[in-house]
Amino acid sequence: MNSLYMPKDSLIHSLDPRTKMLFVVFVVASSFILNDPALQLVFLVALFPLVVMAKVVKPYLISIQFLLLFAVLIMTVHGIYNPIGVTPVFEIFGGLTFKYESMVYASVMSFRILVIGTAAVLFVMTTHPSDMASALVKWKVPHSFAFILLSTFQIIPIIAREAKIVMEAQQARCLDVKGSLIQRVKNLVPMFAPLFIITFMKVHQLSYVLECRAFSRKGEKTSLRETKIGSLDYTFLLGMLGFLAFEIYLKLFMMGSLQLTTDALLTYSLFGTWIVFGFMIIKFVVKQFQGKIGGAN
Amino acid sequence: MAAKAIEVNNLTFSYPDTDEPVLKDINFSINHGEILGIIGPTGAGKSTLAMCVNGLVPQVINGEMEGTVKVNGSEVSESSVAKMSEDVGFVFQEPENQLSQMTIEEEVAFGMGNLGVPRDDMRVRITDALEQVGLTGFEKRSPLALSGGQQQRLAIAAVLAMRPSIMIMDEPTSMLDPKGKNEVYDVLKNLKDYGMTGIIIDHEVERIAAYCDKVLVLYEGEVQMFAPSEEVFTNIKKMHELTLNAPQVTEFLSSYNQAFGKDVKLSTTLEEAVDNFESVCK
Repeated sequence: MNSLYMPKDSLIHSLDPRTKMLFVVFVVASSFILNDPALQLVFLVALFPLVVMAKVVKPYLISIQFLLLFAVLIMTVHGIYNPIGVTPVFEIFGGLTFKYESMVYASVMSFRILVIGTAAVLFVMTTHPSDMASALVKWKVPHSFAFILLSTFQIIPIIAREAKIVMEAQQARCLDVKGSLIQRVKNLVPMFAPLFIITFMKVHQLSYVLECRAFSRKGEKTSLRETKIGSLDYTFLLGMLGFLAFEIYLKLFMMGSLQLTTDALLTYSLFGTWIVFGFMIIKFVVKQFQGKIGGAN
Repeated sequence: MAAKAIEVNNLTFSYPDTDEPVLKDINFSINHGEILGIIGPTGAGKSTLAMCVNGLVPQVINGEMEGTVKVNGSEVSESSVAKMSEDVGFVFQEPENQLSQMTIEEEVAFGMGNLGVPRDDMRVRITDALEQVGLTGFEKRSPLALSGGQQQRLAIAAVLAMRPSIMIMDEPTSMLDPKGKNEVYDVLKNLKDYGMTGIIIDHEVERIAAYCDKVLVLYEGEVQMFAPSEEVFTNIKKMHELTLNAPQVTEFLSSYNQAFGKDVKLSTTLEEAVDNFESVCK
């Protein structure tokens, strides 16, 4: 399979793609409504049971690692250098001070990335691309647009294979791919020019094929895969609406009295991301080392 | 008289910015249930001719066209390619370029979906089409995971599922190994059993001779021969003039006749050739 879709049997998988798209929208909206680090952290933790329910915990953790890189970067750099900060929280070696206001700002931003990332990963991993396309068509999105989305998944591995062929062919014609960095950048031209031409030719041919498969025919189109909004979807949508109402209520009436964000929370979440990041680096180094000494696998 | 499956009259076609037409005054017709093989050297206009039959030329691929092409009695130029696809299925040369869906069953369902075939009907037709090309049991796999021969058969299945009455295959076997070629030709034979009309463009004269009812020889845009396959391939002199070869058994008998001054009747099938040869040697 070329997409990130994980075929599993779960409640989340059986939801209609449209429900899940609305879910992503809901999460994005929520992440902006709840612009407070503590609430966002709670929201992030609250999303996790959904990931468990969808049975995609391991692939989720793998893909969220990359977003964590952003989070570490934002929290560290903004925490120290963002000019909005005035109240010092703590100091690390070299006299670099983390300030309260900038840490709040950085945490909100990075948690927002994580929250939206979680929702997006959840959507992509539990929705079959064809279902997404047919759901879009049901939302009156033009058929050709849905097809473009879908065929992207298909054309990426084909282009990757063509790229390999072009590279090998150019190497056979004495193209130096192991030279200096400048040389390699220069060599991108003889790599990409043929690749673009090949891709355009392929797409051109595909357009003929589509024409021969009645793609531009007017009238009703049908789809093999069925997407239907059922009671489960309605329950889910109602839940989301309820939650949204609660968020707005919280935002409008409770923000004054509710003050969960503290120095400790900010510091610990910063340390938390550092520790996880440290683990990632250790894992990476160990893997590299294993590769060098020709260890297992 | 019932309308012919395909009727081409005085067809001349030239691509933009070229002086000489790629097809010159083509005339031929085939009946329902017949399989036509088109042979000729590269650049003779075989693909262009095939694409005229379903309207890709000149509607999608532009150029100047004169003459008429009729399919099942109605003019191709009066209808769109998408509309024509209900009657005429087209299989292209490169298997990989013809695939656009995530799984095999969706690939087969794609064309039907565009035609608006109901879902229950789709299931039946998918099973049917995959069975015809020998891909049963592969429904949930990715098309990219198949071998070249399987991909080409999948492309054929996708067209078959649309239930056209005419099937055109443009060099469907040129990318395939001998086994893959046989697989494609076996499908072609099945078509005949189903009463479908077929056009196949190929360089495989042996297989063309074995499977096709009629053969059309195209050379530099002109029809040089159009006759039952036996008649075309036994006219060895003309074939050689056009830089083409007849099947090897026919070539053998012809060389034998020339070398030993004999007059063995030429044949395109192995069994008949053996019989003819034996009757002279006795």
